[in-house]
Amino acid sequence: MSQDQNDALPLVVGLTAVLVLFSLYAVFIFAPTERVMGHVQRIFYYHVASAWVGFLAFLVACASGLLYLAKRSPRWDRVTAASVEIGLLFSTIALVEGSLWARPVWNTWWTWDPRLTTTLVMCLYYATTLMLRRLGGSEERNARVGAVLSIVGFVNVPIVFLAIRMWRTIHPAVLTTSGFAVAPRMLVALLASLLAFTALYVCLMWTRIRVARLEHDVSALRHRITATRP
Amino acid sequence: MSNLVYLAAAYAVAWLAICAYLFGIARRQRRLERELDRLQRTVEGKTQQGETVR
Repeated sequence: MSQDQNDALPLVVGLTAVLVLFSLYAVFIFAPTERVMGHVQRIFYYHVASAWVGFLAFLVACASGLLYLAKRSPRWDRVTAASVEIGLLFSTIALVEGSLWARPVWNTWWTWDPRLTTTLVMCLYYATTLMLRRLGGSEERNARVGAVLSIVGFVNVPIVFLAIRMWRTIHPAVLTTSGFAVAPRMLVALLASLLAFTALYVCLMWTRIRVARLEHDVSALRHRITATRP
Repeated sequence: MSNLVYLAAAYAVAWLAICAYLFGIARRQRRLERELDRLQRTVEGKTQQGETVR
């Protein structure tokens, strides 16, 4: 990562902080209280935003996986690994938030609904991907395994998204053929949350890729030192 | 349990998870920077002793 890119990080972090604060204002003050569910409905904004970042991260991991296989550049492997890790973090947050919302509204922590089940399968798949990358072996082998698994795993993402349309489900659909099915002020809060979480994803990716680069440098230097030993 | 508790729990879970992840990355970064510094000093030491470091 170049010095210019590192210099820009505080600016990106500052912008993200502003977006996060605005999203919190929009969620807790600007958005109206839902008539039936009450305040607990406000979980919706961060729940959807977390799920969105999960999808975005897995899309980026799939694209960078393809680029890695095409160009064999470690840079794309670092993007894939970072994006899978962050995508798993946000998808898990979405699952936990969904469960905390389901308890007072559906009267259960968990149900084997198609959307919930496919999301759980997606999380387990990407958790396995991360574990398989760390099994050992050469960096090149781990990168190849990571790239292939990220590409194959992305097949599940559209299924998760379309699960509420393909099967009978109790999960509500926010995005319909006629647009977002929420009140205008709620839509502002939702869009603010989506924007804040996307910025957060960029920040986390930036930092995680920098750490991956450091790991690579340390590993390369260790090899150089070992190679000189008699 | 009041519905507000679920709301607070959901937002707390999200921010705690993100902060824990960030804290983990920052700790790993500090450890790697120290390790890189140590290895670079080792390489410099070897170079001064006349060994070839490829």
